[in-house]
Amino acid sequence: MLSTLKLAVKVLLRRKFFTFVSLFAVTFTLLVLLVSAAMLDGIFGPNGPEDRPDRTLVVLKAESAGKESRRNGWAGYGLLARTFPDMPGVERSTIFAEPRKLTTYHEGRKITVMTRRTDGEFWKVFRFDFVEGGPYDTDAEAQALPVVVLNESTRDRFFGARRAVGKTLELDGRRLRVVGVVRDVPSLRFLTTADMWFPTSLSRSDAYKKELVGDFAGVMILAPGAEASDVSAEFRRRVATVPMDDPRFDTLTASAVPLLGAVASFFFFEQLDSAGPTVMFGVLWLMALAFMALPALNLVNLNLSRILERAGEIGVRKSFGATSWTLVRQFLMENIVLVAIGGLHAALATMIVLAILNRSGLIPYATLSLNYRVLGWGMLLTLVFGIVSGVLPAWRMSRLHPVGALQGRFE
Amino acid sequence: MISLQDVSKVYRTDRIETTALDGISVTIEPGAFVSIMGPSGCGKSTLLNVMGLLDAPSGGTVSLDGAPIRGYRDRDVAALRNAKVGFVFQSFHLIADLTVSDNVEIPLLYRTMAGAERRKRVAAALDRVGLTSRRYHFPTQLSGGQQQRVAIARAIVGEPKLLLADEPTGNLDSQMGDEIMAVLHELNRGGTTVVMVTHDPRLAESTHRTIRLFDGRQVQ
Repeated sequence: MLSTLKLAVKVLLRRKFFTFVSLFAVTFTLLVLLVSAAMLDGIFGPNGPEDRPDRTLVVLKAESAGKESRRNGWAGYGLLARTFPDMPGVERSTIFAEPRKLTTYHEGRKITVMTRRTDGEFWKVFRFDFVEGGPYDTDAEAQALPVVVLNESTRDRFFGARRAVGKTLELDGRRLRVVGVVRDVPSLRFLTTADMWFPTSLSRSDAYKKELVGDFAGVMILAPGAEASDVSAEFRRRVATVPMDDPRFDTLTASAVPLLGAVASFFFFEQLDSAGPTVMFGVLWLMALAFMALPALNLVNLNLSRILERAGEIGVRKSFGATSWTLVRQFLMENIVLVAIGGLHAALATMIVLAILNRSGLIPYATLSLNYRVLGWGMLLTLVFGIVSGVLPAWRMSRLHPVGALQGRFE
Repeated sequence: MISLQDVSKVYRTDRIETTALDGISVTIEPGAFVSIMGPSGCGKSTLLNVMGLLDAPSGGTVSLDGAPIRGYRDRDVAALRNAKVGFVFQSFHLIADLTVSDNVEIPLLYRTMAGAERRKRVAAALDRVGLTSRRYHFPTQLSGGQQQRVAIARAIVGEPKLLLADEPTGNLDSQMGDEIMAVLHELNRGGTTVVMVTHDPRLAESTHRTIRLFDGRQVQ
């Protein structure tokens, strides 16, 4: 094994042009895949406020339908408020609005912020990292107390980098008191991200309370041991009993789906929430493989063209006792070493690209990183790339007849 | 050491059937130095390849150390080649990417052997052909004669009982050719059985016995 590895390194070092061309293709491909993996990890990884993905059910969409018209969108507060209370198998649940952009003025400056209305349970269902103060609770929401939680960047925009708890700011014609400041939540965390959060009861009218389709989402955290399918079924049953609020519609549909499915349907394909994460990850894997196919085929082609160049070597090795299988291993190892070096370069380049992305503000509050999950995926992709692009040439090379190979004949 | 009984080798393509060897029966005793001669295309190299288990005969039986070779399974013949046969080729066939030492080490890589032991044997083989000082050179940095000596070191590093040389002096001038022959004779005196294909009657005369081929048949 060690001698095969040493040999692989020697061969690559001696064939510098081939190595350079191959490395460039491999590095670029893996760079794109690693950056994509980091983005996906930013969306799906259990590192944000949504830290219990396996116990989380999300109600994101709802649809009212009648004979002549149909209305769909995020769920309505009315639907969630009627179906969520006392749900068996659920430890906690929260109802919160989709983000809304508001513009305000503070000390003569115009500031635009992304706001989100939530209930008090929101802060217990999701785990935010408070750097100052704390959340508002259910009572505050019930009493419509004018309170607000900011993220760090928004605090800095309003008050500089000074302590903000206890200070007030004006938003949508109300003066709100800051009760807490949390670390920024990347915008890829679409269920929880915002610049500021305040109680839903501070809404300008109560109309939202009746809506079946609107601009709210609900999240349930399952009790330990509870089956997601049982809770989903109970939710559907409850939805079926909700009285319609509009004579044009006679059916109402909404479903509680696992977090990954909900995220997938939000970012990628509308239909994926019912098909679930398996389909989504299958599709993502297929996309990754398709993207790797071109450089892999290129590497296959380069390797195959080198059979001509290496025929003598193959003949010699077979003459002195190498089996076809030994040669498959050797050539495969050479390819894997090449791809692994490409993987290392790609990892370094990925760190640079992610740092640039994080600083650019292209994805607000992005904290994309090459963490162990992304590295794990990267290593797996690298190995797949190395094996896929190496197997065929290695097999073809190993099948050469020793006498033909020594004479430079390839039949 | 090796015996061939009624061995034939026929190459077939879609239209043509070429008989390279026809009814060859030869026995080579341990410690012999045998040359194979004949005009170009008479089957000399094919015979050597069949003896070295690089090619399977179309008919007849090849026996190595008294054991007939059957089936010619890749794994089995590879192990036999590795343990018992060493090859020297006319055009050396050294691997340009590897140093002299690494080239010589090749047969040992396909054995279960510790690295230290491999290095010791490589050093000994290079010492026998007088190239110790060139062990870190690459083949292209050596003369033809030196390259062939490296090839001989590679052939003997695994201490095979049988050394098969296919026109080992064919690409060398007469002085270098004589040097290589001297090395082969010395190996033979040390007990290695040598079978050599040659066009040169002078070299054939220096061996114990000559097999002459014509159109794939043994004529002497």
